[in-house]
Amino acid sequence: MTLALLHRLSEQAHEIGASFGAAPQEWEAVRTAFSAAMMSGDGVRSFTYILLLMMIGAGLEWFYWTYSYASLRVLLNTEPSSPRQSLLFGLRRFWITGFGLLLFAVAAIGSTSAFVWPPGVHDMVVTLTLTLVMFRFIVIVADIVLSPGTPQLRLVPLPDRTAFTSMAAVALFAAVGSVAWFVPALITRIAGTPNLAQALRIGLGTLIAVALLLACLFTRRNREDVLAGRRRGLLPKFPRSLASATVITVVYALWLFGYSAAAVILGALAIVIAVQASLRSVVFYFWRDKILPEEPPHDGRESEEHHDSVQQDLAPSIILPAVRLFVALIGIGVCALAVDVPLTALATSESPLARFSFRLLGVAALALLANVAWITVRTTIDYRLSTIDKVDEHEQPGPGARLLTLLPILRTTAATVITVMLVLSGLWTLGLEITPLLAGAGVVGLAFGFGAQSLVQDVITGIFYLAEDTFRVGEYIESGTSTKGTVERLTLRTVALRHHNGPLHFVPYGTLGTVRNTSRDWVIEKFNLPLPIEVDSEKVRKLIKRVGEEMLNDAELGPLIQQPLKGKLYRVEPGIKIFRCNFRTAPGNQFTVRAAAYKRIEVAMNAAGITYAGNLPLTRTLDPAGP
Amino acid sequence: MVSSVKQRGTSSLDLWIRSARLFSGLFLSLFVLTHLANLALGLVSLEAIDAWRGILMAPWRSGAGSLILALAAFIHASIGLYTISKRRSLTLSRVDVVQIILGVLTPPLLITHVLTLRVTSLFVPEFDASYAVILSVYWSLAPAYAFQQLFVVMIVWVHAAIGFYSWIALRPVWPRIRNIVLPILFLVPILALLGFVEAGKEVLYRLENDAAWLDHIRAAQHLYSQAAPTLNAINTNVVASYWILVSIAFLSWAVRIYVGRSRPVRVFYEGDATATGRSGLSLLEISLTSGIPHAHICQGRGRCGTCRVDILRGGQNLTPPTDQEIKTLSQLHVTDTTRLACQARLLQGEVAIARILPAYADISAAQTPEEWEPKDSPSKIDDTLPAPVSSPLQEVTP
Repeated sequence: MTLALLHRLSEQAHEIGASFGAAPQEWEAVRTAFSAAMMSGDGVRSFTYILLLMMIGAGLEWFYWTYSYASLRVLLNTEPSSPRQSLLFGLRRFWITGFGLLLFAVAAIGSTSAFVWPPGVHDMVVTLTLTLVMFRFIVIVADIVLSPGTPQLRLVPLPDRTAFTSMAAVALFAAVGSVAWFVPALITRIAGTPNLAQALRIGLGTLIAVALLLACLFTRRNREDVLAGRRRGLLPKFPRSLASATVITVVYALWLFGYSAAAVILGALAIVIAVQASLRSVVFYFWRDKILPEEPPHDGRESEEHHDSVQQDLAPSIILPAVRLFVALIGIGVCALAVDVPLTALATSESPLARFSFRLLGVAALALLANVAWITVRTTIDYRLSTIDKVDEHEQPGPGARLLTLLPILRTTAATVITVMLVLSGLWTLGLEITPLLAGAGVVGLAFGFGAQSLVQDVITGIFYLAEDTFRVGEYIESGTSTKGTVERLTLRTVALRHHNGPLHFVPYGTLGTVRNTSRDWVIEKFNLPLPIEVDSEKVRKLIKRVGEEMLNDAELGPLIQQPLKGKLYRVEPGIKIFRCNFRTAPGNQFTVRAAAYKRIEVAMNAAGITYAGNLPLTRTLDPAGP
Repeated sequence: MVSSVKQRGTSSLDLWIRSARLFSGLFLSLFVLTHLANLALGLVSLEAIDAWRGILMAPWRSGAGSLILALAAFIHASIGLYTISKRRSLTLSRVDVVQIILGVLTPPLLITHVLTLRVTSLFVPEFDASYAVILSVYWSLAPAYAFQQLFVVMIVWVHAAIGFYSWIALRPVWPRIRNIVLPILFLVPILALLGFVEAGKEVLYRLENDAAWLDHIRAAQHLYSQAAPTLNAINTNVVASYWILVSIAFLSWAVRIYVGRSRPVRVFYEGDATATGRSGLSLLEISLTSGIPHAHICQGRGRCGTCRVDILRGGQNLTPPTDQEIKTLSQLHVTDTTRLACQARLLQGEVAIARILPAYADISAAQTPEEWEPKDSPSKIDDTLPAPVSSPLQEVTP
């Protein structure tokens, strides 16, 4: 088999050599025929028609430019406010200049039909115009991307000089490439000299290949950079120039020896791989103003807080996989064109390979959707989590505490759901029967469901508890089953309550029932003061009020009090007046404030000469609703 | 404003020279217009062309007409070469490049045609260069000349159209006549070439089938060949001397560029931008070579006023205002310190300026300047217009 291959290659090489040998004579023949044809009435007429075409085409384009140049000039002189806006400007430039080119092409090529051409000249004129249009198109695109004259609109991070040289290089490539694309076929059609066409094709192709190799040579990383990287201990980087040079050489060899389909496929594959490898940096380049710079690590903080720049903008994470899929599709399309497989008939094609590859495309699209959904969910949750402050045990827990619990659960759930759906949809798209799978899952789910009723009840009840913000980590609750304690931990199924004596109660949500949350918002503390019946009620009331104001203005007690201490006459019994005092504080502070209140009231009463009631009333017991 | 700028600069000669170039160019364009219109009659018939030749071309073929035409051509070409030699830098717009190339290429390509049609009859009086004869030469006897002539027709027409357009587009009458003049600019050469083709078809037919006609052509050819050696000698001499003059002009340009390199001058702009240039360059040229955006609709001819700047300090280092500058500025609302950046040349030292119009100003800034007038004072760039460039270009020092 190798021998047959070698034989074939040498045959091909001979053929090429032969065509190169025969080309000069053919060229001479063509040249003399062409000169003879030109130096005649027909030649003059053709030349005149060509001039007319150029006038019409260029004239129409110039006329268009008198209207649109002003807007282009504004674009070129405006500073874009973000990299995405420079991309938008680039698109607008493309639209404006491209439309001019379109007008030129349509006008020039369209008017060729208005003239009567000598034989073969029409074809030649149309082909040469198409060559010019292709060249101009490539140059327009390169001008927009490289933007040598307007650095602020440049879409790639290149210094000015490199932009200029790259532009010149691209223009040269475009010229040679356009000629190589159109002219050999033209020669074959009108001059009937296949050897000349072949020689031209191969010559230009070789020129392009050599130029590309030279470009690889000039853009490789130089020795000093490589050595410097090694010295710093970095791993050697992927040798891009070498790989590109290899690929170019192989593609050229394949093309030269007639395996042009293989050459196209290999080239497309190489380009797709190169693009995919750099696509992330390209897409994020356009969002570089939105990505926060990494903060230097604070002492003691873990570094995973800034392992990845926090992305405030979701768009690039979604656009990236979409563009990846798009690039992959284009690559597949090019390969399909190269092997002449009709893309539209892929789905119903005879060949199982074609059908399978079509289905793979479907799976790729599903994977893209799942990726997009997952990235959306994960980025939003991560962002939300990172903006919540950590729980401080000494302060009242805020609403962020329950988010800290809920969001990771949500993330895990979303991941599971998306994965399962992706797997099932993928299997279905690939043509595998998943009905038995689903049926089996259904039966198993039913069995699980019956058996895990209370588990499910716990989980769902727990979700509702958390969603309703019934209690948070750090609050003191009592559940209906007389279990009480401070909430220490919330899990999917249970809540851990720490009794103030030490034991830890694990209470499933389903059995939590009614929850008495004594740590929420505020607490009103009331206590009674029994005073002798002779006291002046108003004086006592004012005394208590003064004590309350003093406590409110106190530096330590003041912040704890929400509503100051007040007292009023509550009950009169024989020999006793009972004053009931109350104040309002945040939960947990009432004990401190009450002790302080008692102390201060006693001091104040002593100063005012009031004493507590000495004897209990003779016939009454204390009010059962007393303190 | 006018009071302080009133002193006549040393360049009133410059204004005259450019006007002479413009008007001689317009005169030549008129000639070309009638010539092409005559040719366009080929769409009617071959006889029509020669019939109208007597009417359309007669003024140009008379003694006085020929003399004025020759004078206009000479003035235009020599002034063109003179202005090339006076250039100080390589700041050329694309239009300038095109005009220079086309202008320089025209005379050597046109000389054969001129000699055949005008000078032959001086040596061989019976020779009549009618359209019929010349078309026969082009279409059958010596088609190489046809290519040359078609090429030079395109060059001349493009050169004339560009020159004409850049002059008339700044005049107030332009918006009214625009929709008539522009189509004519395109129709004339298109119709002329179509007429050329139609007449050619008829010529070829006649050469095949009309024996008497063929004899007539042969006779004319014979007459021409008698004068041919002399004409060729004249041709060679003229072309050689022309190229020598062109080389001198370009050499002078190169010398000026080289000499100016040794004396740098600086310009400070509003904001933080600075630019360094060579002594003797105009402020506009310094801006453009340093990549600083600067509006300049008329490409530095001093006609449009869009490049005007406020001189904040260092005005004494600039050349005095030219007549063209005075004329243009007097039509705008300007202060004492406003100069045209394309006319004011920096001879030494430094100058601080403030550009008045944003760089994306288009031709309406020249035609209706009051719409572009900065609101507060002429020395600030208007904040209500879209933001001017505040780009990384500003720290350029070449």
